[in-house]
Amino acid sequence: MVNIHTAHDVSNRRMFATMIRGAVFRRRSRALMAIVATLVGAATLFCLAAVCIVVPQQMRDDMRSFGANLIVRASDGGASTQDVRTITQDVTAVGDAQSATYRYENVRIHAAPYMLAGIDSNDVQAINHHWSVDGHWPSNGHIMVGRDVATALDLKVGSTLEIAYRADDNAQFGSQTQSTNQAQSTNQANQGQESTQSHSRDGRVSTDILQGGGTKFQVGGIVDTGGNEDDIIYATNHDVNQLAGERGVDVIEFAVDADADTLFSMSQAIAAQDGLSVPVSARQVSRMTSSNERIITMLQTLFWMVSLVVLALTLVGVSTTMASMVGQRRNEIGLRKALGASSWSIGMEFCIESVLYGVIGALLGIGIGQIVASVLCQTVFDRSLPFNPLLALITVGAAIIIDIVACIPPVRRAASIDPAVVLREE
Amino acid sequence: MLLELEHISKIYGDLHAVDDLNLTVPEGQWLSIVGSSGSGKTTLMNIIGCMDTPSKGTVTLDGRVLNDLNAKQLADVRKNEIGLVFQKFHLVPHLTALENVMMAQYYHSVVNADEAREALAQVGLADRAKHLPGELSGGEQQRVCIARALINCPRLILADEPTGNLDEHNEQLVLDILRKQHSQGTTIIVVTHDTAVAQCSEREIMLNHGVLVGERWNDEQARQRYEAQGGLPASTGAHLEGVLADDQTIQRITKQ
Repeated sequence: MVNIHTAHDVSNRRMFATMIRGAVFRRRSRALMAIVATLVGAATLFCLAAVCIVVPQQMRDDMRSFGANLIVRASDGGASTQDVRTITQDVTAVGDAQSATYRYENVRIHAAPYMLAGIDSNDVQAINHHWSVDGHWPSNGHIMVGRDVATALDLKVGSTLEIAYRADDNAQFGSQTQSTNQAQSTNQANQGQESTQSHSRDGRVSTDILQGGGTKFQVGGIVDTGGNEDDIIYATNHDVNQLAGERGVDVIEFAVDADADTLFSMSQAIAAQDGLSVPVSARQVSRMTSSNERIITMLQTLFWMVSLVVLALTLVGVSTTMASMVGQRRNEIGLRKALGASSWSIGMEFCIESVLYGVIGALLGIGIGQIVASVLCQTVFDRSLPFNPLLALITVGAAIIIDIVACIPPVRRAASIDPAVVLREE
Repeated sequence: MLLELEHISKIYGDLHAVDDLNLTVPEGQWLSIVGSSGSGKTTLMNIIGCMDTPSKGTVTLDGRVLNDLNAKQLADVRKNEIGLVFQKFHLVPHLTALENVMMAQYYHSVVNADEAREALAQVGLADRAKHLPGELSGGEQQRVCIARALINCPRLILADEPTGNLDEHNEQLVLDILRKQHSQGTTIIVVTHDTAVAQCSEREIMLNHGVLVGERWNDEQARQRYEAQGGLPASTGAHLEGVLADDQTIQRITKQ
């Protein structure tokens, strides 16, 4: 008995599938309209979502190359290599980060005092893509001078100059160095440096003392940032160590992939770090972080607004198409009801048909959306866009829901069709 | 009696599409409802076929009063008791002939492809089972429609102008099928304005502007059987004012 019922169920299910298949595949032009309506919506939705998932990451990556958003300052002779490693580990534990260290020394050129920064060119370049460098970044024996320094000393790329280091200068100007270091770090955050500007003009400190001699360097490049970097001379850590002897770094800059709250917490945690050889202070560069987040928020808001519009348009498109199909199939619906079909049965048939259009349209839309999004990402952001299966699933689900919702009014209309009225309209 | 109509009327505003009709139809009878366009015969067929309800009066099918049934119950009566044949066939265009027949099985109970093929074979379309309606001639489509009406073994076949769109050859094919069904005891009610088709039936009633204007028996034995069962002539409480029935038909009825 059970087997007989099962066989009956199977044959009826097969007939149901046959009717749906017939409606979809033998009425291709009508089916195509519904599928295209869903396809356009699904493609737009998938493409927008895929791009909007990638863009914030791309934004964060790009913003990290436009300057630091966390600055750590060390005192008492600078942070040791171990200190730098410890702090870096703390920071990278929270998010992807790039870092650069700076060691600042007061030096003399033609007896005038200047600020010399020891850096690792690759590290500094990685988080300061916006620096405009004429020539090359520092390498051993070759320095990079700020635009104002170059102007004051009449330097060009390829020029040579002698840099003298006097320990008592740094002792004498110790407090100034400290002040300059602080100002420098502030400068990295694109903030004003009122104190240093009050003491210097064109990169020269006003208390010039006539005294020559020193180590010869060749100018490899001239950096122009429009900021306080233009007053500084950059050399490799190796050259600075040769010139002034070895010691720790004064400033560590980080470009971290983290939001403002995380950066704030992190800066407090670093300042409270007690495993370091010297006291350090840390602070976030809020302008960079907040502007980054503001742009991402704006983009995501824009995405949601566009998505809602697209969903609404898809809903209208599918609903209109389904309404048109119901209108064209009034006689068929009337006939089915005359043959004994219930309103529920008619509604289910149209709903399943609509879901089928949704699935087919969504799958095609995902394919097209992926292609468009990939081309877009490659062209605009120069990065590949991997296929996102979760997003694809969400898109299919959204398309099915939209198609079901869209078919409700037409289905209700279909279910209310009076067979007598329809069949009489010959 | 299989079908009993008592004082039924269908009223649309001021229009009486069917006006106070009494009619009884026993099991196995072949009845024709004749009349010109707008005479109310299709309205009457819809009422008998459970696709419409009368404004007044009572319809009883196999002892069951239809007036009290809701839409779902009427649909159940339709699929279990009645086979419908339409003038314009009303086949689902995206289903094959076989699938169109199976669709009636689907809504009735259980789909059985072998039985559906057999039904098509009975109307001479065994070799056209896989064809879509658009690939069939008008006569073939009407035969598919009849196979669909017969597939669930209904007690009553309601045919609305079944030969209205057919040539003479196909008309004869369709009438032969109806004769065969009638000989097997199926009750048939045909709505037609074709005299030749009406004459195939045992009994004819004529409507004009919704009012019964005549009744005629083509088979005397059938009449005797009907009267022996206690059957009464069709009657109406309405009378037609200022409207004359079709002259030819009245002439034919008058001759009786």
